[in-house]
Amino acid sequence: MSRIEIRDLVKMYGTQQALYGIDIQIEEGEFCVLVGPSGCGKSTTLRMVAGLETISGGEVVIGDRVVNGLKAKDRGIAMVFQNYALYPSKTVYNNMAFALQMAKMPKDEIHRRVQEVADILELRPLLDRKPGALSGGQRQRVAMGRAIVRDPEVFLFDEPLSNLDAKLRGQMRAEIKRLHQRLNNTIIYVTHDQVEAMTLADRIVIMRDGRIEQQGTPEEVFHDPATQFVAGFMGSPPMNLTTCKVTDTGLALGTANVACRVPKRLSPGDTVVFGIRADDIRPNVEGAAAVTVEAKLDLIEGLGTENLVHFMLGGETIIGKTDGRAKYTSGQTVSLALDMAHSYFFDSETGARIR
Amino acid sequence: MKHAIRGLLVATAMAVPLAAAAQTEIEWLQWFAAEDDSGFYSALVEEFEAANPDISVKLVTQPFGKVRESIVTDSAIGIGSDVLGLNMPWTAEFLDIGLLEPLDAYMGADGNSFDVDDLVQAPIGKINGSTWMVPLNAFPFVMHVNKGLAEDAGFDAPPTSWEELREQAIAISGLGDGISGLGMPFSSQPPSNGPILTFLPLLYANGGRIMDGTTPNFDNPKVVETLTFIKELDDAGGIAPGAASRTGGVDLEEFIAGRSGFLISPGVHSSAITSRNPDLDYTVVRVPTNTVAAYRVHGWELGIAASSDKKEEAWRFIDFLLSKDVNARVAEASNALPGNLAALETVSMDAGDIQKAQMAILAEDEPVEELRQAPSAVGSWSIMTEEIQSMLNGDQSPAEAATNVQARWMELIS
Amino acid sequence: MTNTIRTINDRGTPYLFLLPCLLVLGSLLSVPLYKVVEYSLFDNVIVERNPTFVGLQNYRDLLSDPGYWSATLNTVIFTLGSVIGHIIVGTGLALLVNADIPQRAQTIFRSLLILPWIFTAVVVALNWQLLLNPFGVVNYVLDTLGLISEPLDWLGDPALAMWSLLIISTWRGYPFIMVSFLSGLQSIPRELYEAAEIDGAGFWGKFWHVTVPQLKPVIYGVALLDLIWTFQLFPLVWLTTGGGPGRATEVLSTLTFRAAFVDFEFSQAATAAVSILVISAAFTVLYLRNEAQKV
Repeated sequence: MSRIEIRDLVKMYGTQQALYGIDIQIEEGEFCVLVGPSGCGKSTTLRMVAGLETISGGEVVIGDRVVNGLKAKDRGIAMVFQNYALYPSKTVYNNMAFALQMAKMPKDEIHRRVQEVADILELRPLLDRKPGALSGGQRQRVAMGRAIVRDPEVFLFDEPLSNLDAKLRGQMRAEIKRLHQRLNNTIIYVTHDQVEAMTLADRIVIMRDGRIEQQGTPEEVFHDPATQFVAGFMGSPPMNLTTCKVTDTGLALGTANVACRVPKRLSPGDTVVFGIRADDIRPNVEGAAAVTVEAKLDLIEGLGTENLVHFMLGGETIIGKTDGRAKYTSGQTVSLALDMAHSYFFDSETGARIR
Repeated sequence: MKHAIRGLLVATAMAVPLAAAAQTEIEWLQWFAAEDDSGFYSALVEEFEAANPDISVKLVTQPFGKVRESIVTDSAIGIGSDVLGLNMPWTAEFLDIGLLEPLDAYMGADGNSFDVDDLVQAPIGKINGSTWMVPLNAFPFVMHVNKGLAEDAGFDAPPTSWEELREQAIAISGLGDGISGLGMPFSSQPPSNGPILTFLPLLYANGGRIMDGTTPNFDNPKVVETLTFIKELDDAGGIAPGAASRTGGVDLEEFIAGRSGFLISPGVHSSAITSRNPDLDYTVVRVPTNTVAAYRVHGWELGIAASSDKKEEAWRFIDFLLSKDVNARVAEASNALPGNLAALETVSMDAGDIQKAQMAILAEDEPVEELRQAPSAVGSWSIMTEEIQSMLNGDQSPAEAATNVQARWMELIS
Repeated sequence: MTNTIRTINDRGTPYLFLLPCLLVLGSLLSVPLYKVVEYSLFDNVIVERNPTFVGLQNYRDLLSDPGYWSATLNTVIFTLGSVIGHIIVGTGLALLVNADIPQRAQTIFRSLLILPWIFTAVVVALNWQLLLNPFGVVNYVLDTLGLISEPLDWLGDPALAMWSLLIISTWRGYPFIMVSFLSGLQSIPRELYEAAEIDGAGFWGKFWHVTVPQLKPVIYGVALLDLIWTFQLFPLVWLTTGGGPGRATEVLSTLTFRAAFVDFEFSQAATAAVSILVISAAFTVLYLRNEAQKV
């Protein structure tokens, strides 16, 4: 178990810059998730920590060592790959034992360790099989077992669940979470799936175009997004974001006027991006900050426990939520309450939060 | 459209007389054109066709090493050529297979363009009561001399005896820088005929033979003496190193490039030497003798395939090639002597020094030809090659080499 | 009944289209094959108009001929040596070409390294004869480096000829292995190497534990194919050494050719050819079984 510090990390591919000074501090035993759309630099960052990519600038510190010049095997890390990267010709046992064999560990010690990890991951009956004879979930567990067996200071996960179907993904997610609670290792986990990020992370780092947009606990980044990008990226459905004009009384969303309070920095006539989550748009909710609008329902997506209702407001499509038992039909006009206590404002040019 | 039809009619009309004169095509398989890059032989064929509109000749040219094989296989599957370029050592084995047509009737017929008595005699000597081939040209085996290298080594005249050859070859090798005295090609690579190129001429100049009539007689003192000469010369460094991997082609190339002092090979090679390296200070002499002035006589021969169904036409073409005027030109083109000696006068009129030197050898020395009657001649070359390689490598003495060749040759023909 | 006919029609039509090709191929293969076997049972074929049937006598003669056995031994040495040489050099160069170098350089190296394969045997033989000549480049370099004291006759010394031939054959044949392995190498997921790197495998660790197992199916198939080709390889040997010096590099194919076209012993040649055929066929069956398993 070690803390990890990434200081001003830069990656250049020729003249192409992929990372622009990444700074992350991960405490001992912390589960840190790097999340962002593809091409944002999250995998590159992970691979630079792993030692699979050269570092163009900045430092990576694991424990109290700067590891920039160290080979991957000497960094005290283990990695789980997206495609598992199991050795096809080796049995499960030998896949797990390989790193220990390379390290010339005594045979009985290898045996003990592999058996122990196999027990944790319920791999015992599979030890003599080859990866080709395993299901996706089993392979995933072997890949993790291979990492755990080495008892590394740091685990690195590179989109480990993206090749699994939805159900298995949920199971494995929980399994990884449990494993972390049990082993308490420091983990860096890369994913493009914000649900994984929210459920697994102690700390989420949201990246975009080679830069960090925001980092913090899942609650922080969800409830207090620093930028329009983060607000739109985290949460499903994504936060409603519409560009509107500030008026004397509130906001003009297209042709509709919404009477509400706006941050003091804004003055009438300013253009601003207004954001509100679907959860905060409910039919007929009473409340101090609630603003009621009449809207015609455009589309209803029933999810069982709740419905997502799409409606038009001043020419913009907005998504709200209703109780799963409520009966609505599209085309119906309903009165919806926007909980303005949980509304957000972003600079329409920089995307920065306006508080 | 009208024009097109008229054109067609004209073309048809013109084609008719040609078709009417039922043309017979004969094939001429040879390697001669492969050793000439001036197009002389195709011009010759055209000349014949112009004079004989009823016959057309297809020139089939292959490298020397391939012709013997083709004659046998083509004949076996029934697509053999009509006129064949031949080499005297092939005679015995071709007769065994019955590939050749006896030429006596054609030669005796009236109206030939040449007199049989004028022909070089060696190839037309009767075997099994018949003559099987006629000489297109003739040349002796000679020694080609790089005069420049000999002078560098301090000699102003080419060697005439074995003793002088030994002395000069060793001295020339001593010049260093990749220069060798005498090249000897004893590679196993086909046609692997090094022994008959170099060993036999030396043996004949020593008064020796490898045949006793039609029976191999390799195991005799003269052979051993000649082998011993070669072995000792090699040990003394007079022979180009790597003889066991040196092919006839490389041997010739090395001489042309000016890296060997002496080359024993057919006189006909002189045309390649002078044309490829005109700057070489070069001459031709008789193979240095050890008692006897004798030379291995050789030439390019012609015959008719027994399986041909156009033998009359084939003979008319051969007759054309042997006619005095044509034959003289063939001799000039191949830098050799005419097979029809009636053409000798024409040839000698504008003969160069090299050709004159060959004429002198032909006129003064004793011709030897014994491979024509040698059984399995080509197989025997391989045997000689292998045993000489082994001798040069120090694995056996010259006497053992002679014994082994004899034994293996006898086994081959048994 | 109608149904059966229709089925035959439906199923048969594709084969009907194949028929001309099958007929041509079949006769091109079967006629010579039949002829060779037939020749091997007669005495003095081709040379005699009416050869006599001698049954298996030619085979008895062949198997009791020490020359045949020494040629067989040479063939085994030549074949195994060549295939091993091809695999070692081919694999090494494939790894080098597959290294992390610019695409352009990779293309250039690949094209250059494939050259030996393009030359005809004649050119290869001539070039190497010149290189290995006592006055050739190889001797010059070795002499300059002080490794030899006097020029060696690489192709003319019975002790060296087979080794020289193996070097030439390796040079000539490695591109096939290299190209086959290169495409195999490029299909190995990069993640496997990365996993191995993290697991602490060095160059050889990665080679033995990732590259070799991943290439194994390719290696086996390609090696067998190479074995079949090299086993009956004729032109390179014939043109380079002619089986010599002596019979130091005589292999079964040159023995066959010598019997046929030097000695005109076509029956003996056919018999030797049948013996090559039998061994090649055995290898071919192995190869086909291996290929069938892959599907």
